[in-house]
Amino acid sequence: MAAGTQILAPVAGEHRVGRTYLWVRFVAAAPLVALVLLLPLHSDVYGHVSAYAAIFVMVGLSMNVLTGYTGQISLGHQAFVGLGALTAANVVSTGVRPADGFSFAIGMVCAAAASGAAALLLGAVALRIRGLYLALVTLVFGSVFADAVFTLPSLNGQDAGVPAYRPSFMATEYRFYLFALAMALICAYVDVCVRRTKVGRGLVALRDNELVASAFGVNVLGYKLLGFTISGAMAGLAGGVFAFWEQAFSDKDFTAIAGFNLALTFVVVAVVGGLGNRGGVIAASVFFALVSPLSPFLEWFARQTHWATYYGNNKFYISNVIGAVLLLQTVILNPGGLGQVIRPFARWFGGHKFNLHDSDGGGVGTMEGSSVRA
Amino acid sequence: MSVLEVRDLTIRFGGLTAIDGLNLRVDEWEIVGLMGPNGAGKTTAFNCITGFYKPTRGRVYYQDRDVTKVPPHRKAALGIGRTFQNVGMVKSETALENLLTAQHTRAGYGAPQAIVGLGTVRQREKELTAHAEAILDLLGLADIRDRRIGGLPYGTLKLLELGCALATDPQLLLLDEPSSGMGPEESDELGERLLNLRQELGVTMLLIEHHVPLVTAVCDYVYVLNFGKLLAEGDPDHVRNHPEVVAAYLGGEAPEALAQTETPDDEPPADEAALAKPVKRTSAPRKTAQAKKATKAAPRRRPPAKKEAS
Repeated sequence: MAAGTQILAPVAGEHRVGRTYLWVRFVAAAPLVALVLLLPLHSDVYGHVSAYAAIFVMVGLSMNVLTGYTGQISLGHQAFVGLGALTAANVVSTGVRPADGFSFAIGMVCAAAASGAAALLLGAVALRIRGLYLALVTLVFGSVFADAVFTLPSLNGQDAGVPAYRPSFMATEYRFYLFALAMALICAYVDVCVRRTKVGRGLVALRDNELVASAFGVNVLGYKLLGFTISGAMAGLAGGVFAFWEQAFSDKDFTAIAGFNLALTFVVVAVVGGLGNRGGVIAASVFFALVSPLSPFLEWFARQTHWATYYGNNKFYISNVIGAVLLLQTVILNPGGLGQVIRPFARWFGGHKFNLHDSDGGGVGTMEGSSVRA
Repeated sequence: MSVLEVRDLTIRFGGLTAIDGLNLRVDEWEIVGLMGPNGAGKTTAFNCITGFYKPTRGRVYYQDRDVTKVPPHRKAALGIGRTFQNVGMVKSETALENLLTAQHTRAGYGAPQAIVGLGTVRQREKELTAHAEAILDLLGLADIRDRRIGGLPYGTLKLLELGCALATDPQLLLLDEPSSGMGPEESDELGERLLNLRQELGVTMLLIEHHVPLVTAVCDYVYVLNFGKLLAEGDPDHVRNHPEVVAAYLGGEAPEALAQTETPDDEPPADEAALAKPVKRTSAPRKTAQAKKATKAAPRRRPPAKKEAS
């Protein structure tokens, strides 16, 4: 190391625009920030939907770490979200009503920890299998875990579910939304930290080529487990927030069709957003949150157009159809996903020159056949 | 002191004995060549040395430490860098990102610190980037800094891969056909570059190479493998004219080769005693080879002081 650093004198490299033009970016970003902060103020429904979108963003980022960076597929991610929700609700419901801040915080931490541990377990299995078999194992893991754990009467509060009362300082929908947004920002921050350091580079390296990764000194087994754990913890945190969003844990949200529906949506979010592309995944998460069966957005939209009954009967399928169409569109026409489309803008906001044709794949490259081995 | 010593290395895949009782030694500050026709087991030997394959029998010593069972990523951390035959880099990343990835073990912070995003991590990242840029400059690749490596020409990729191997901060560099995909001129340039790298960074190298002019130009000592067995060893000129080597490469049979196959002069004993005692070289060309090198490429700097001691 000493020899290397001595001889190779550092060279200054400044590839970003000067600070002078940064204010242009700030001005341009202002409407976006205003939209995120002010739109949910409109009404309780807006706040409710926005909080749901924030939860979806967290799960999307969780999939981004696992599928985008680490290149592992998970068709059982609803289990981690559900476990987070179950844990948080159970931790908090033993306390007073409305929950005090302390037990609430403990519930959140426990949610992330429990799901992180469960994901570590799944990761240990994934070390040995890859591709189609891994997809199958995660699928089975998700449904078995959901059916075995979430249906335990002592944990799921039976028909009524486990109540998860919000703490008093989160009484309004908007305040709860701000909390969910903060949690999503934490996930995004972790995602950024992962991507910009040796952790993300190690994950991407092992995704592309495990032999090369280990020649570079990356502990492939350890980093795979790390990828699973980070992803699981994020999903668990999302689940914790979700429990308070619904103000109860109900096993029906995560078992059977509803659970599988969620798992599929999560994978579709990661692909449609652009594998390994943070911005794209966030955008796709928001979109799929709006069209998901739990969101009142499409229902409201259908009421406006007198399709309410039709929507009510088919709401589980509508989001799937939209997801399938977008998935096809992405795979065939736009392999970099949504991230590829917004990349010129994202890079401009990041301080680079605006280049409309810089559709160079985005975050960590386009979705090649080898990116996700499934 | 030997940097790398392989004793009685044997690996079997099912019924196929890919390497049979290979002994070799690489001393500090040496460039050693590993030659042989296709399928001779050269890359397999590399994979055994770097830990990707587990040898059926035999030992690998790195700096007099038994590292036979050390996994590849820990060997990288110990200072064994390697390149791959068909370019081993992270395809979806840019040249700079690849060089950063290669500095994984010398990042100087752990995964938890990275995830939490401490300020020290950011500081270290700046230093890593500066180091990566310095390597790009050293190899004359500064203009591809932000290019995704997917579309780059093969020769450039081989060079960048060498840069990545250097970025792991190796004391021993294993290069698998570094000149493949390069023209004669580029290959000469590569030879100069390897000699300069040794001069400047004090890296010891073991390289698989087919390009004879390059081997003669840079190697102090050459081992020739054929069908997994050591066919000949010695300084490049000696090996080049060795009848069995000529026969192995050209497919013919050298007149005296057949008779010598059982007990060739140059082959060290591959019995169990070989495990116990260090590899002995029949000819000792190191000093002469280095003297030769000194006249070829005038050293810009004296070799590291530790060299004199050995």
